[in-house]
Order: sequence, then structure tokens, then C-alpha cells
Amino acid sequence: MYPPGANVWRRAFGPENARRLLSLYVIASLLTGFPLPSAFAAEPSVQKPADLTKEAVEFFESRIRPVLIERCYECHSSKAKKVRGGLLLDSQQGVMEGGISGPVILPGDTENSPLIHAIRWTDSEFAMPPKASLTPQQVQNFEQWVKMGAPDPRIEAPSKEANKAKTRDLAADRNWWAFRPAVVANPPAVRQSSWVRKQIDAFVLQELEAKELSPSPKADPRSLILRTYLDLTGLRPSYEEIADFVKDPSEKAYAAVVEKLLAAPSYGQRWARYWLDVARYGEDNPTTEATNPGYPNAWRYRDWVIDAFNRDLPYDQFVSLQLAADVIPGTPRGDLAATGFLGAGPVYHKDGRLSKDVIENLYMDDWDERVDVVSRGVLGLTVACARCHDHKFDPISTRDYYALAGVFASTAAAPRQLAEIDSEVETRFMATSQRLFYLSYVANLMRDEPGSSPADARKKVERFMSEMDNIRTETTELRDKFPALGAQLAKLERRPKPYPAAEEKRSDAPEVAAQTPAVQATKEPGTLIAANETGNIPVTAEPTLAKGATVPPPADEPPVGRQARGRGAPADPYFHSVFDAGVYVDGTDPDLTMIGIKPGVARDLRVLAGGNVAKPGEVSPRGFPTVLAKGKPAFLHGSGRRELGEKIFTDAAPLAARVIVNRVWGWHFGKPLVATPSDFGAQGELPTHPTLLDDLAARFIANGWSLKWLHREIMLSATYQQASRSRPDAAKIDPGNRTLWRMNPRRLDVEAYRDTILQASGNLDSSLGGPSMALDQAENKRRTVYARISRSRVSNLLQLYDFPEATMHSPSRETTITPLQQLFVLNSPFMRAQAEALLASVAEAGDDNAKVRAIYRRALLRDADDHELTLATRYLAAGTMTDFAHAILCTNEQIFWP
Amino acid sequence: MNQVISRREMLRSLGAGLGSVALYGLLAEEQARAQIPPLGNVLPTGAPHFAPKAKHNIVLFMPGGPSHIDMFDPKPALAKYAGQRPDSVNVRTERTTGGLLPSPFTFKQHGKSGLEISELLPNLASVADELCVVRSMYTFNPTHTPARSLFHSGNIAATRPSMGSWLSYGLGTENKNLPSFVALSPGGGGGPGLRSGFLPSCHQGVAFDDSFVDPEKMIRDLRNRNLTPEAQRQQLDLIQKLNRSHDDMVGGDEFLESRIQAMETAFSMQAEANEAFDLRGEPASVRELYGNTPFANGCILARRLVERGVRSVHVYSGGGQPWDDHSKINQNLRARCPDMDKASAALILDLKQRGLLDQTAIVWGGEFGRTPVSESGDGRDHNPFGFTMFMAGGGFKGGLCYGATDEFGFRAVQNRMSIHDLHATLLHVLGINHEKLTYRYAGRDFRLTDVHGEVMHDLLV
Repeated sequence: MYPPGANVWRRAFGPENARRLLSLYVIASLLTGFPLPSAFAAEPSVQKPADLTKEAVEFFESRIRPVLIERCYECHSSKAKKVRGGLLLDSQQGVMEGGISGPVILPGDTENSPLIHAIRWTDSEFAMPPKASLTPQQVQNFEQWVKMGAPDPRIEAPSKEANKAKTRDLAADRNWWAFRPAVVANPPAVRQSSWVRKQIDAFVLQELEAKELSPSPKADPRSLILRTYLDLTGLRPSYEEIADFVKDPSEKAYAAVVEKLLAAPSYGQRWARYWLDVARYGEDNPTTEATNPGYPNAWRYRDWVIDAFNRDLPYDQFVSLQLAADVIPGTPRGDLAATGFLGAGPVYHKDGRLSKDVIENLYMDDWDERVDVVSRGVLGLTVACARCHDHKFDPISTRDYYALAGVFASTAAAPRQLAEIDSEVETRFMATSQRLFYLSYVANLMRDEPGSSPADARKKVERFMSEMDNIRTETTELRDKFPALGAQLAKLERRPKPYPAAEEKRSDAPEVAAQTPAVQATKEPGTLIAANETGNIPVTAEPTLAKGATVPPPADEPPVGRQARGRGAPADPYFHSVFDAGVYVDGTDPDLTMIGIKPGVARDLRVLAGGNVAKPGEVSPRGFPTVLAKGKPAFLHGSGRRELGEKIFTDAAPLAARVIVNRVWGWHFGKPLVATPSDFGAQGELPTHPTLLDDLAARFIANGWSLKWLHREIMLSATYQQASRSRPDAAKIDPGNRTLWRMNPRRLDVEAYRDTILQASGNLDSSLGGPSMALDQAENKRRTVYARISRSRVSNLLQLYDFPEATMHSPSRETTITPLQQLFVLNSPFMRAQAEALLASVAEAGDDNAKVRAIYRRALLRDADDHELTLATRYLAAGTMTDFAHAILCTNEQIFWP
Repeated sequence: MNQVISRREMLRSLGAGLGSVALYGLLAEEQARAQIPPLGNVLPTGAPHFAPKAKHNIVLFMPGGPSHIDMFDPKPALAKYAGQRPDSVNVRTERTTGGLLPSPFTFKQHGKSGLEISELLPNLASVADELCVVRSMYTFNPTHTPARSLFHSGNIAATRPSMGSWLSYGLGTENKNLPSFVALSPGGGGGPGLRSGFLPSCHQGVAFDDSFVDPEKMIRDLRNRNLTPEAQRQQLDLIQKLNRSHDDMVGGDEFLESRIQAMETAFSMQAEANEAFDLRGEPASVRELYGNTPFANGCILARRLVERGVRSVHVYSGGGQPWDDHSKINQNLRARCPDMDKASAALILDLKQRGLLDQTAIVWGGEFGRTPVSESGDGRDHNPFGFTMFMAGGGFKGGLCYGATDEFGFRAVQNRMSIHDLHATLLHVLGINHEKLTYRYAGRDFRLTDVHGEVMHDLLV
């Protein structure tokens, strides 16, 4: 038999080497007096979940674990008040390490396993459990289990070390309200049962009645129709549509309106934007430099989201496709645009001159962001808190964190073409384009390095260029066969100028912006990059340039980034995506840190103590957070993205459903049921209506994760249709409206505000899809969802109206009311232009009085009353008609969401 | 609890986006003693953790990384070993570097304190006894963007709130008609220095272009191009009458009321901001003192804004990264220093004359310093390992020279001060305990100083 712990080495080195190595260690330890590494001190036979058969795991889960929990944990778990005999049975490690008197199990050997002796109750001094024995069947199961080699999938459970820091047990952790199964509830009995129209109403009414509150009356038809249009489409109804509904405000008519709006394309334009906040959608990076150019085709992802809402793609598929469309078999090509969620995520510049650790850390930041957007966005869990230490409040360990981060370390971003293509060819293309991109970057970097050892730099540039040559030769066939890919590669092939370039002038960004037509300066001096060599889709990012610096137009073609800003400009037939490839940082060259993208290789990360890349610990295999996983948490296929999606919607389905149902509720009502929509952990708020949330989540799953079903369920309720007017009696009891005694009145968000102003002026272009357009372009009359979203420079208007920074997941928007907003309303050329257009649209109306009436109908969608007509006449005695139209657009009524 | 939240929301909206107030609503321990003023058209001002030494912060930011070796940190050993490359300077920086490059500038002692300052900075030398020079600064990244993020937010990631946003969040503002955090630069950029990150967006820095002296060119939509102030008043009266009757119709609402008030504030702000930002009326004597460049404009504006209660003003010495002297250090610094030197010294003198220097903590510096070894023969590479910054006013000791770099000026070796220490110390003089100014986001309580930072009491009066 090998010495304790040797099986680790045996696996790694084979028996002979292991023995030799081990004895060296033992001798060294004896000589130096240093203790042996803990692996040698005890008996932790390391089982990887991957090593266990399904049967073995099922055996353990069904026959062993329940008994351990019920009969042993009281004294032998990290959660025990007092751990007896130093023995922990709530983790694989604990079982294998044994207690103070040594190992309790020898895998495969029942007769020499103390645990088996103890549970047989044959030795009265050492009989366990002490008060009552296990059943003969249970004892038999344990014997069989030990014979099987004691398979134990609980590799991530707390060990003794963890026990010192905290006491936690998985079963209790899993009992957290948000993790429990969601079940359909019986609607509670209520006094005012006639008020109830949908199931949710009963739960709401129960709370109201408990507080001696009553619901508000139904909203008047005009307010209700306005609310409903704004809610589902972000636009207002026409004057006529309001009139029709006011004539027949029956429930049937209302349901028909809801159906009509759910079927309208403007529904997707409205609701996609909510998701884009969650998904921190942006079209460039927080900083824009040589290795992190922008994402000019990110809009294809945005359009995919809009379309997904419009076709009511079930939410589980909606999210799974965003995580893994490229690796889910049978996915139509068009749905691959969903991967823009990851492919156009924010990344930081990896300056090749920085050390390996610094670059590794920058990647860790990128992956951290992915962990964060997925965990908070979809699961309502702050997993990223566990990057440096185990989560202080929620059952998330650093191992869980790095298990998830590994998924993203095994995922590389790359462009894909729109047209179908053989996947092997595509993978080759993606890997090649990334390599060419990086080579071209470092070649430029070195060429531009006029330091003290130009010979070295020159040597390196030549090496990079020759590798580019090799790639060119290797890909000849690819180019010939696939002209579109060939064209892309040809762009990437563009070389730095012949070396050395005599005419070259140093580029200090502010002073000298560009060197040659094909080369654009980025912010960082010395990092030049060919205009179309930006790897992750050949385009130029918006360079950040000082005032006065100009970028000369490229000789052959305008950069796509610029085209994308104008409407109807030709767009690249590419979209931003990802593929399974391990991302590695290579620090072997002391002067230049290189990046390696290895297609098809998955990369498990090591747990980093304190998040420090210089302190790598044990490997944490890619997998799902343990507390949420049912069965094995490990991901076994490729990066694990597909399994991640699957686990979210099977193992963690109740949590995922609660999170999205809560978000949708919040978007309908202005306030979610759980006030912290991205934190369902111990630090988050509890739901105001827990049973309602559970019931709705359970029925949402039962109804195929259909968001349109959820909208109907909510909007057809009496709760939703209440008036939003305040009532002093109720406000006194529940000023925050937690019980929903009324609808929350709201201010329009920036999208709906701008869109409805354009709607009032008659200028709104509500067409679907296409490249983004800067908001400050005067000719931009498209819906705001099509505005260009920058992570480095937020548009002035968006910033003014609380648009969240697109650099990270946004749980919800703040609402501020500021004087700077009012300067925009009162003085901006945009508002003035809309006032002029509004006036022009009523030019035919007749005299001033008729125009005033027409303006009221167009902008405020109602008739002016006598008092208002008098005010108008009085104002017009000195003021102009345009200023009057402008005033109407400035009113509170225009930004109010009843 | 609802009451509190609702009141906080109310305060925020009344705060009119120009600073809402962390220490009133968000720090539970402070809540008990926070005196919330009667609700009305009054913006509550800061309630610090302890008596502040300063009320305002001005940052004079030198983008690109100014050369400490040529300005504040004389190294005679460089001349002795010129052109050589001893092992101790074999440090990986951003680019390939060569042998030691002596400073072409001479240093003299100045003031009663005898601070050593180079010939490049005669005006700052004349106020030497006001300067608290730290020669032992260090930071954590040799590349501009991450280093700038570190300087402004204490973190490499370009997503964290900047120090100006933290101050706005922590202390609010004293003037509801002006932003609490202003950044001034030619072109009006500011990038990561402006970010509010996860803090409410009202704490974001507002950038103005200081190459102009006309407020209408600096502030978007400040003036109505179509109406005289009188005509606009009439228009606003109409709007407000309509708003009142709308209010009656829907039964009144917090935010509708706030918007009515914000419109009034905006209207009066047109005049007030116009007055505050208008540099055209500054007398010739002021121009004489400061000079006539964008940076001089920025420094004058900084003083004017501080006088009007703005919490933080960051003045950028040029757009882009002018202090990034990878080559021709001699010519470049000779050309660039006079403007910066004159206006920086003028600001210190001017604030002192007006009795504002005590209340204003000034920080001067860049994202890092430069290497003692040469790049391109006559330039210097980025050096995050050791460099100089100076503070002045607001609780900092004048005439102090603190810390030291090694014999060549490469690494900070004595009394080392990190960028987090700088932030902790700056918050301290403004009355804030840097460990207590936190914001709960994504399940964590975040700080400007993350888990780092020590207040450098040696620097303080």
C-alpha cells in the first residue's frame, strides 16, 4: 500500500515516480524539520466528481447522505454545536481525514474501517450513533458504500479549516427561502372577494386586509389606457385609441388592448431595454485601446433581444442561448447573435508590456464581470463577493466562485459571420483571427518601441511577422474556399510598415493622432493598430483624442465604426460572439507578455487566496455553485456554458424564476416585491409578498417560462388596474405602498420620455432594427433603444436621466429629478425642434385657438378645458405659438406615468 | 423604515441631483445625530464624521505623469552615474529603457523650510512654505489608463466611483445651484476621473471646457437661444400653472412637486451659473497673477467655484496626457512648466489672500512619475514605483518634505505613501473616516480605499 496521500501522486506520476517523490519529501521533511504538506499527513484520497459514476453518486445521495444528515451531523458536521472526536462527516474531505484517532474509513476495506465497526454496535465502548443504532439495512448500505470505495461527491463542502471560520451546513443553506422549490399556492380567503380578478389579487388583498387597508378604486379608463400603452410599448396611444377605450372600458375591451400591444413590435422595443440594463449592453469598452476596441456590431445582439421578446421566446431558452447558443446543438444560426451577451462584454486593455501577473489579473477582472452579470442578473446572487474570500453572508465559497469563473476563462470572444458555416472551419477562423490580431498588435508595439535595444525589438517584430506569414500559408485553403473569411483575414494581415521606418514620428497621442492612413492612434501612445486589425471584428473603435487631434480618413474604406453611426450605412456581416477556448497568459518573454487562445481547451482556475494571482491555491473544477447544484456541480463539456444554462433552469429553476418574475413585477409596478432585485441572499431584502412571489414563479415555470403569460397575469389583475392617486388614510398606514394599496405613479424613464416627445411632435421613427445612432445627432429620430450605448462616454441625455453605466450589471435604475434635466427641457435644441415640429403638425388647424386645441390633442392626448384655453390666450398675447407648444412639451403631464 | 426611505428619496429629489447626502440617510450610525433640515428649498450640506480641517478639495491633475526627478526630487547621483545602468534600476516599466539620465535642471532651496525645487518652478518655489511635498508616493501600474483609474478611484477597473463622486456622496454640496463635483479641462473630458460608478448618478463629475471663458460655451443648454429671460419667465409661469392644475388632477405627488421646484432652480441657475463661470469679468490683476491659458482659466474657476460652495474641483493640466515625456524631457518641460507653475502658485496665493486656503485641500500630481533611466536617449518612461505629489492648504503642513526615493529616484523607500493612503488622508482632512464612508452595492460595502489606506498624520497640522 502506498503511503497516505500517495494516490494523488500516483495519478500524476505513476507509481514509481510517486513513491520516489514521496520519499524525497519525507526525507526532506525529516532533515529540515518542516512539517510535511498536509496532503501527506492525513488520508485525503482526492475524488473528483468526474471520477464518480452516476450510479455511485445516486447510491450515496439516496442511501448514505440522508443517514449521515439525520443520524451523524448532530455531532460530526461543521455546523455541529460541538464537534465530537474531531470527526466531520459532512464533506468528502472530512470523511477521508477522519477524527483525532485517525481515519475512519479505508475505502474498499469494510473490516478495517472503524466507522463500520462503530455502526455495527458490536463494541459497547465504541458504538455509534450512541443513542440508537442504525437499521440493519442502513448498516448494510454503509458496508456496500465502503466496498464501492466510499464514493462521495461532496467535494466542495466545508472542511475542518472552513469549520474554524464558520459553521455552515449545506442542507440548512439550501433551505434559504429563495432556494426552496417554488410551489403553486392556494389563494387565501379574503373578505372583499369580489375585488379579486386574478390569483395575485387574493394574495395582495390578504396583506391589505391584514393591515386594515382597502385597495384603491380602479383607475379611470383614460389613465388606465395611458398606463398600459406606456408600460407595454413605451409609447402613448393616439387620441382616437383613448377615445375608443373610454367608450368601452370593459374587461373584455381591456384584455383585447393588452393582446394587441403584446403583439405589437413596439412591445419588444420597450421590454428589450429592461433586459439590456440587466445585461449591461454596450457597444464599446470602458476604455478603448489597442486590445479592447469597440463592438460596432453589438446592435445585432440588441436586435436579437428585441426579437426574442416579440416572439415570446421562453425565458429559460432566452437566457440559455445568451450563454451558450454556439454550443447548443440545433440552434438556428440567427440565434447565435444571442452570444453577444458575452461576446460584447466589457474587457480591459491587455498591454503586452505589463507583467504576466498584471495581465492575468486583468483577465480575472474580465471573468469576474461575467460571473457577476450572470450570478446577479440571472440568479440574484452576489457570487462575485467570493473572489477574495468565502462569501460572508451567503453559502458561496471561493471554490464556487472560481468554478464559475473557469467557465469564462474557457470562453474566448471572437467575431462570427452571419452566414452558415462549417463549425470546424469557423473555429479555425476565429482562433486564427485572434492570433493574427494579437500578433499584429505586438508587432506594432515592438516596432514602435524606440527604447535602448532596437535590435531586440526588431528581432521580435521579425519573429511575429514570420508567424503571421506562416498563418497566411496555413490558411491558404481556408481563404480560397471561403472568400468572405478570406477577406476578413486579409484585413488582419495588413502589416506594420517595413522596419525601421525612417519617416516615423513618435506618437504621443494628443499631439500626433495618426501615422498612416491605415493606422489609427489609440489613447495609449505607442500602441498603434491598423484600422482593420481589431481582431474582435475588424473595425475602428472611437479613439479618444484630445481636442484638435484629428483622425485622417483611411485611404481605402471608411472605418466601420463610423458607418455604424449613420443609419442605413452598410454594416459588417458579422456579429460579436464567443467560442470554447482556454485563455492563457504567457509570461515567458521577460519583455512582452503574450496571450494564448487554445480552442477546445477548457481551463480550470485555481482558487486565489485574497484574489491575488500571485497566490494560487487548489484547482477548482468548472462547475455550478454547490448550494444550488443537485447532484454533481461539475461541468464536463467544453467551457461548461451549456451546462451552466441547463443547471440554472433545472437545479436552480425556482431561484431563476423568482428573480425574473420579481424583475418583471418591478418593471410593471415601479417597485419589485424583493426590493433588492439582484440580491436574493441574506443581505438582500425579503419579499413583501412571499407566497405571491412563489406562486407566480411556480406558475410562470408551469406556463413554459412565457413572459407574455406573465404580463397578462399581472396586467389583467385588479391590483395592477388600481388608480395611482394617493389616499391620505392609506398613506398614513403604509406610506411606502409596500402593500400595494394603489398603483405607484411614476416618472417616465429616458427612453419613454424621449420617444413620447418625438411621438407628440410627429417625428418619431419607430422602425425596427439596424445599426445604432448617436443620440446627440440632430437627425436621430429613432426610438431611444437604438441609441449608441458607450461604456466609455455615456451620452449626455442618457446620463442626465439616470441611465445606468453599461460597464456592469444594473439591478434597477435610480430616479433623480435635477435642474440640469430642466435646462435640457427648457433650452435644448432638441426640445425646441420638437416644439417646432409639433406646431407644424397642427398648421392646418386654423386660428390660434384651434391650434391650441390641436396641440393639446396631439401632445397631451386630450381636449383643453376652458381654463387652459384662457391661460393659452393670455400667454399668446405676448408669447409665440412655438413657445406655447414648447411649454406644453415641458409640462409634468408629459413626463408623468399615471 | 418606509418613512426614512421616503424621506431620503425626497431629499435626493430636492437635492436636485447636485449632491444627495450619504451621511444623512445611508450611514445608519450617523442617522441618529444627523440633523435633517426642514424640507423646503434647502439642500442639506455635509455632516462629517468629525470636525473637518477642510471643506473643499481642488485637484491639480497632471495627466501623463510629471517627472519628479526634474521638478521636486533632486538626485545628484544621476550625474555621477550618468549613462550607466546599475542593477538597482533594472526595473521593468512600460518600455525599454537605457542608462541613467541626469536632470538637466538645477535645484535650489526655497523659503524658510528650505524645500528643494527645480528651476522649472520659480512661482511654486516662491510659495514653498505652503507646500507639503511627498516624495515617496507609489502606485500599482505603469500604464496610463489603469494608473489614472487608480489615482481617481483607487482601483484599476474603470468602473469604480471617483474620489470626487465619493466626496459628493459623503458631504453633499453647499450650493444647490451648482454641481458638487466639477472637472475642468480643455475639451471638457475627464473620463474615469468623473465616474460615479455604482453611486447614484447625481454624484458624477460634471465636466466643463476651460479653454473657454464664456459660460454658455462651457455649460450645455445654459441659455435659451430663443427667449429673453423675461419672456422665458412668462413661459415658465405658464408651465408651472399647468403643472399645478395637473397636480390637482392626479392628486399631488412627490416627484411632480420636485420637478416643479427643479424647474425654478434651473431657471435661477441660468443666472447663477452664468455668473459663477463667467471669467470675462476677472480683473487684469487676476490675469496677471494666473496667466492666460486654459489651465489658468481652470485655476481661476476652481477658486470661484470653491468660493461658491462647490465641493471638489479637478483641474486638468491639458487634455490628453501632456506630461508623458517619453522623449526630449529638457525641451518639453521647459515649454510646459511655466503655465502650470504660474497658475498653480497663483491659485495657492489667491486662496490664501481670500482666507480660503485653510478650508481647501489642494492635491497636485499625476498618475505616476518618471524613470531616472532614459528612454529614447532624452526622455523618461513611466514610473509607478516612486514619485512626488504635493498637497497644500486644508490641514496639510506647509514647507514639509516627506518621504524619500532611493538614490536614483526610482523607488519610494522611506515613509512610503500609496495612492490609497493619499485618498484616506484626503478624506480625513475633509472630516471623513475612510473606513466608514461606504456604499452597499452588489452585496458588499464598498469604500474609496477598498481594504487599504492609512491616514498619514505626519502630513497634517
